Amino acid sequence: MPDCFPHAVTFPFLCTTMPTDTKRVRGPEVSQSPTLFLCKHVAVLPSHGRRADGRQRDQVDVRPVFVRCGLVSQAKGSAYIEAGNTKLMCCVYGPREMERKDETDMKCGKLTTDMRFAPFSCLERGSWIQGSQDKDLSLMLHESLQPAVCLHKYPRSQIEVNVMVLENSGSVLAHAVTCASLALADAGIEMYDLVLGCSIRQNGASYVVDPSYMEENSCSSVSSENQGGLTVAFLPSLNQISGLQSDGEMNEETLTAGVRTCIEGCYKLYPVIQQALTKAVRRAAPPPSES
Amino acid sequence: MAAGFKIAEPLEYHRSFLKENCRPDGRELSEFRTTTLNIGSISTADGSALVKVGNTTVMCGIKVELTNPLVEAPGKGFIVPNVDLPPLCSSRFRPGPPGEQAQAASQFIADVIESSEVIQTEDLCIERGKLCWVLYCDMMCVDYDGNVLDACIIALLAALKNTKLPEVTINKDTGAPEVNLEKRKGLNIRKHPVGASFCVFDDSILIVDPTAEEEGLSTSHLTVVTDEKERLCVVHKPGGTPLSAEKLQECIGRATARQREIQKLVDKVIHSVKTAQ
Amino acid sequence: MATVQVSEAEKVYILHGIRDDLRVDGRGCEDYRHMEIETDVVSNTDGSAKVTLGDTAVLVGVKADIGKPRPKVPNEGYVEFFVDCSANATPEFEGRGGEELGTELSNTLYKVFNNKHSVDLKSLCISAGEHCWVLYVDVLLLQCDGNLYDAISVAIKAALFNTKIPRVHISADEEGGKEIELSDDPYDCVRLNVENVPCIVTLCKVGHRHVVDATLQEKACSVASLIISVTHKGTITCTRKVGGGSLDPESIFEMTEAGKRVGKALHAPLMKLLQQEESLGKARQKVGFLG
Repeated sequence: MPDCFPHAVTFPFLCTTMPTDTKRVRGPEVSQSPTLFLCKHVAVLPSHGRRADGRQRDQVDVRPVFVRCGLVSQAKGSAYIEAGNTKLMCCVYGPREMERKDETDMKCGKLTTDMRFAPFSCLERGSWIQGSQDKDLSLMLHESLQPAVCLHKYPRSQIEVNVMVLENSGSVLAHAVTCASLALADAGIEMYDLVLGCSIRQNGASYVVDPSYMEENSCSSVSSENQGGLTVAFLPSLNQISGLQSDGEMNEETLTAGVRTCIEGCYKLYPVIQQALTKAVRRAAPPPSES
Repeated sequence: MAAGFKIAEPLEYHRSFLKENCRPDGRELSEFRTTTLNIGSISTADGSALVKVGNTTVMCGIKVELTNPLVEAPGKGFIVPNVDLPPLCSSRFRPGPPGEQAQAASQFIADVIESSEVIQTEDLCIERGKLCWVLYCDMMCVDYDGNVLDACIIALLAALKNTKLPEVTINKDTGAPEVNLEKRKGLNIRKHPVGASFCVFDDSILIVDPTAEEEGLSTSHLTVVTDEKERLCVVHKPGGTPLSAEKLQECIGRATARQREIQKLVDKVIHSVKTAQ
Repeated sequence: MATVQVSEAEKVYILHGIRDDLRVDGRGCEDYRHMEIETDVVSNTDGSAKVTLGDTAVLVGVKADIGKPRPKVPNEGYVEFFVDCSANATPEFEGRGGEELGTELSNTLYKVFNNKHSVDLKSLCISAGEHCWVLYVDVLLLQCDGNLYDAISVAIKAALFNTKIPRVHISADEEGGKEIELSDDPYDCVRLNVENVPCIVTLCKVGHRHVVDATLQEKACSVASLIISVTHKGTITCTRKVGGGSLDPESIFEMTEAGKRVGKALHAPLMKLLQQEESLGKARQKVGFLG
């Protein structure tokens, strides 16, 4: 381990030597986020009353979303979503020939998902290399989307879904699901239904819907029971849950109530997403004029 | 009919336009696409900018971190530029480590930073030999429709102008740095390098700001980077057919004009952000 | 995962059986297959266990190492998970084939243990901000015959129960620096409290019902499963939907309820068994891998 900061400052984590990356412009061996050396401590988030951004606690108060389809010229379909400061975009390519010929399925197409964070998207700079968290999110995204796509209509081909998180301000997976299903629809891929995502953060007896990054990562010591996060992917017109993930500690009643809350949150998003989609369709195929 | 012609004979299709001194998207040969700029939209970054040149979109985010200066350069900080061409931006890129084009682009941007002296790395030193800043400048292409280098330089320049370094003091007793995120100050941008890219068609016809399709059909590429004093910073011509001296002179002339346009745009956007605050 | 070919007629047979609460191997819908547990099977780990469930076999080794606490939680140790899908288990894991499943399993394990009570991380701290115990939990899949999650979680609980961490003493030297001394007596060690370590229950939706501990044939008849990790108190630490299908919200609630019931009932006999084995001491007859 190189001697970092000879003046009594030592790096609080182990400096693991990464294999040399010759494909990028590399900086110094180690560097640290300035947030680790703050002279003042960050204010603790309120655990009751109104939330830091003025939203209501214990209510289905999702952040207003801005959605737009078809922004990327090169993609078959694309979508951009902005909820509070969370910004992400998704591009869909395909259906095209399977990249790996040995995996070709004569009956059914293959959906591939890739979700990654831009290095500047989080409070602390992320690495260029996709970590295991990104892989896990890609898998969750895959499982949430697959039930909605009519893959049997695309035999021997693959459909690629790429999600890029430009700014992470919480509930990334939930919004990625919504954004990706919108991009799939924009690409004209046949689907049974849209997929909408919503997450909540349980903190003791109270909960927050569509949590921000700070709310997701604050571990308050108020109560030890019932703490955790929950993300649900929901097919609104079929009334089916295509993705479910929770962690932390919750009893059964809280979890069940949480799932119901998330479904309600999805229904709140539904009209906005539908509107964005109709707008995109109108633009692509304008209705015949009167004359 | 036209669509079929375009797909079957793309080169002939383009030639038929170039003969008439125009291009398929309606531009003249020496006309840039509409360039728009948006700065400071990413709050998790210390500086950010989104640039659109026609369809081509590049987002640059800058994160600053603390590190030790090198022993051989105790008074200097670091600038680490990287261009990413993710599979999201075009079907031609595959997931995985950066491909050849992304590597070449990163190196090109590093050359531009070094030879234009847009920032002096001495400005990033906090305490000589002990502590300095490293600026991680990540340029992420989100829509690839040609001429990504020009877009990257504009995005980088605008993001650097938007970057604010937090105040750092070194505690006398412990020697540990103390950071105050509320008090921030801008970087000293010394030069304003701006690039202009060209493509050569059929060894003779010169066009500016090529789209992805034009890039693929042309025989040679050229990027000229100049600063506000009309000095040449970088001339990048990776192989291809040769170019005459007059043509090169013409390119440099066009590049200096482009530099003025872009600097005006950057200043205007930065001013509008300031007044909005 | 290992795949089996199930014909349409077989599927109908399995489906009809499950509808009448009678599975192909004679079990009811909420019954586990025969399970065997043996602890202390690998001598060069600090704790190990081997679990077989039907023909599924997993081996878990726990290694305790001294490391540096994470900067955000200086007074806690941490647990690392790694799942190795050996090519012994199924030929599909050859080369990089098992990597994806390995990351999926280990990522889920991180979620299962992502709460304050599963493992008392504070007890793993040696000196705040400087040294702590890091528990490396290595899972090796020896044979796959369905229901990997449940088998792995039981094996982890048994291996953690079996883990003996050497006692350490901190002494200050003349210059004010701290020195860590390991106890000389190999029997002088700390045991972990595994009471709150959760067990995972995988519920497979087959037809209109759900089954516990599905075999590969049953899994082939199902489109979606729900993973639920439950503590002995019935607290749910992680849920996750896996598989390419979607689930009705009502059936998710039913499955959560069943998962909680089954998972809760799993703990008491498991703990009893582990204590019984422990009490045998050295007199215990070791079975090993070929027994």
